[in-house]
Amino acid sequence: MNAIILSAIWGVVLMFCSVLIKNKGVYRHIAALGLLVILAGNIHETYHGSFFNIDTHEMLRFSRFGLFFNTILLAATLLYVLLSGRDVEKAGGYVAEYFTLIFFVLCGASILTSFNTLLMLFIGIEILSIPLYILTGSDKRNLRSNEAALKYFLMGAFSTGILLMGIALVYGGTGSFMLEVPRSAIMGGYKGVSFLEVTGLLFLLVAMSFKVSAAPFHFWTPDVYDGAPSVFTSFMATIVKAAAFAAFLKLFEARVGDTSAAVDWKLLLSIIIVSTLLIGNVTAVFQQSVKRMLAYSSIAQAGFMLFAVFSLNDVAKEGLLLYATAYSLATIGVFAVLIKMKDVTFEGFNGLARKNPVLAATTTICLLSLAGIPLTAGFFAKFSMLSAVIKTGTYTWLVVVAVLFAAVSAYYYFRVIQAMYFKEGDAQTEEVTGGFKVLLIAVAALVILFGVQPQALLNWFYF
Amino acid sequence: MPLLNVLLTAAPAAASSASNYFPIGLQLLFAIGFVATMMVGTHLLGPKRRTGDKLENFASGIESHGDARQPMAIKYFLVAILFVLFDVEVIFFYPYAVNFRGLGWSGFWSVLMFVGFFAVGFFYIIKKGALQWED
Amino acid sequence: MGILQFLFWLLSAVALTGAIMVLASKNPVHSVLWLIVVFFAISGHYVLLNAQFLAVVNLIVYAGAIMVLFLFVIMLMNLNTVIETRKNLWMKAAGIISGGILFLIMISVVRSSADMVSRTAQLKEGSIGLIETLGKVLFTQYVVPFEISSVLFLSAMVGAVVIGKKD
Repeated sequence: MNAIILSAIWGVVLMFCSVLIKNKGVYRHIAALGLLVILAGNIHETYHGSFFNIDTHEMLRFSRFGLFFNTILLAATLLYVLLSGRDVEKAGGYVAEYFTLIFFVLCGASILTSFNTLLMLFIGIEILSIPLYILTGSDKRNLRSNEAALKYFLMGAFSTGILLMGIALVYGGTGSFMLEVPRSAIMGGYKGVSFLEVTGLLFLLVAMSFKVSAAPFHFWTPDVYDGAPSVFTSFMATIVKAAAFAAFLKLFEARVGDTSAAVDWKLLLSIIIVSTLLIGNVTAVFQQSVKRMLAYSSIAQAGFMLFAVFSLNDVAKEGLLLYATAYSLATIGVFAVLIKMKDVTFEGFNGLARKNPVLAATTTICLLSLAGIPLTAGFFAKFSMLSAVIKTGTYTWLVVVAVLFAAVSAYYYFRVIQAMYFKEGDAQTEEVTGGFKVLLIAVAALVILFGVQPQALLNWFYF
Repeated sequence: MPLLNVLLTAAPAAASSASNYFPIGLQLLFAIGFVATMMVGTHLLGPKRRTGDKLENFASGIESHGDARQPMAIKYFLVAILFVLFDVEVIFFYPYAVNFRGLGWSGFWSVLMFVGFFAVGFFYIIKKGALQWED
Repeated sequence: MGILQFLFWLLSAVALTGAIMVLASKNPVHSVLWLIVVFFAISGHYVLLNAQFLAVVNLIVYAGAIMVLFLFVIMLMNLNTVIETRKNLWMKAAGIISGGILFLIMISVVRSSADMVSRTAQLKEGSIGLIETLGKVLFTQYVVPFEISSVLFLSAMVGAVVIGKKD
């Protein structure tokens, strides 16, 4: 509850700031301060309970998992604001508004980690999406940004329509919005599988796959991630995607069990996973722009995170926590460097190692983590996802497929590393400050820390 | 006045059944029917002299030129979209007004908080000059 | 067939015709006008379900305000010359096939839903959609989603200023 309320309030505070404070440089400090406050509030709630005593009528349920997920999202956002806050100021004329919208997105994200009714799922997804449509189109004079925003909005509205239809059907089948409906309470005392509910869940599967950009519902992702200002792409690809996955996992964990007699969810999800991995990885190989490559790689990474929804066991939940952390850290790091590049094609990275060794080294570590190389956080993230699949005991061939595609992904991540270290060129970057470099080194250090000691993160979770 | 008495006693039951909306439906039907009949009637009965001058748009005798459908300014849209937001806010007041007494203070505080959020938004809109027509 | 059933079928026919005409009209303004017909038909359905408040809100917000916004968008884009978008034959075929499959699935779901047999819609009476019941539920049980939805409104306001204001 702390994270939801505080982030909404801090968004309002920033709205006031946009009117009252004219100095644009201040907003990013206010945002960072707010994130610290919310983070502290959320950690306090994890161990000692919420500041606010509100009867939510079971609409929201704050589990340890959800609160811990909030902590990860908030910490990642804090890192993002510290690393790329200066670049948010360059995105357009409404700096305070951009930060406001980021806080509203966080409000939606923290609803998605702790919703307990489909109604809250819907509101959470809407609060998450609507600010994103605006952030995507924030570069108003740029036609590609406009196109991306319109495409994202139309596709997003369509998928929200499907989501609503699914919720309506589930409600029609069970007579309740609650995530976990006791079977005895279902309308009319009917004992078997309700086909309305099953159809509704299929709609929800489609809508959620859409939101996390899983194939075959991924087609909006490359254009939107490519067209949006890079700073906001970084935010969309990490924090927002992780929050959507938390909601996906929570929804299916609660609902799939009762309907598995009627639908082979594992088969459906394995089809989605394999096509996501295939399309994401294979298309990423052929990209010329690093930004677009990262868009496809985020589709591929979504394929890996879907293993958590596929497995639905304790290992998968832990794995999703690890994966969200590793993926967010690495992607924020890579994007922070990408934003500083004058040219975002592969050629633009040629010879970066000679010009700016710190940037090149940290980017390399982040890319290695994305590829899942041992001794980085990405390795254990991928490893725990795959062990979750093995633990389910079915569809173990998925592991082989996943490992094969992870090998493919190494190819395009290494292309960037190769460009930085082994190609002659004149990589142009904008001025980077010492503080930026220190933060990048900190990100790289965290990536390696979680790679060597993944238990450091999880122990905290179990504390 | 017996008729009025009947109406008064029937009033409490009126809100609870859809069939009480039958007269409204009937009135709607009559209104549409009347307009449609009149339009079709004048069309059929009236004399028709289709000359070039008669079919031209009437613009006070001045010759019309160009197209009336010009792209319009974005500020109309901005005002319209802000209107919709506050329109929806007002809709939430109706169910509150009906239950005003029953909900007591807790209902009051929850509505006040909702309105408070909107007031913040309104303050923001005014200060940003989004409703300023001249720029 | 009682008058209720008759009205139900009539309104459904009007709504479906309107919805098809929204898609089939070449002129976008006609599409919007047909959409208004759809909204009126749906409001009629709400009245049949004895949800009068929803019926009125549907008219005020959707048929009134939102449709004006739609018209504004059409006027903003200056669509007075009808531009026929190029339609790929394969895309058409794919659309027809996937839409048809969805239609079949929905029909078979409704037909095979054993839990839906012998349950009828609560026409004409029932108090779920009445303003008083709705208000009670909204401000007690559903008060948290109600409050949180104000964040949605705020982000819409900020978005309107960020995107729509001339700078």
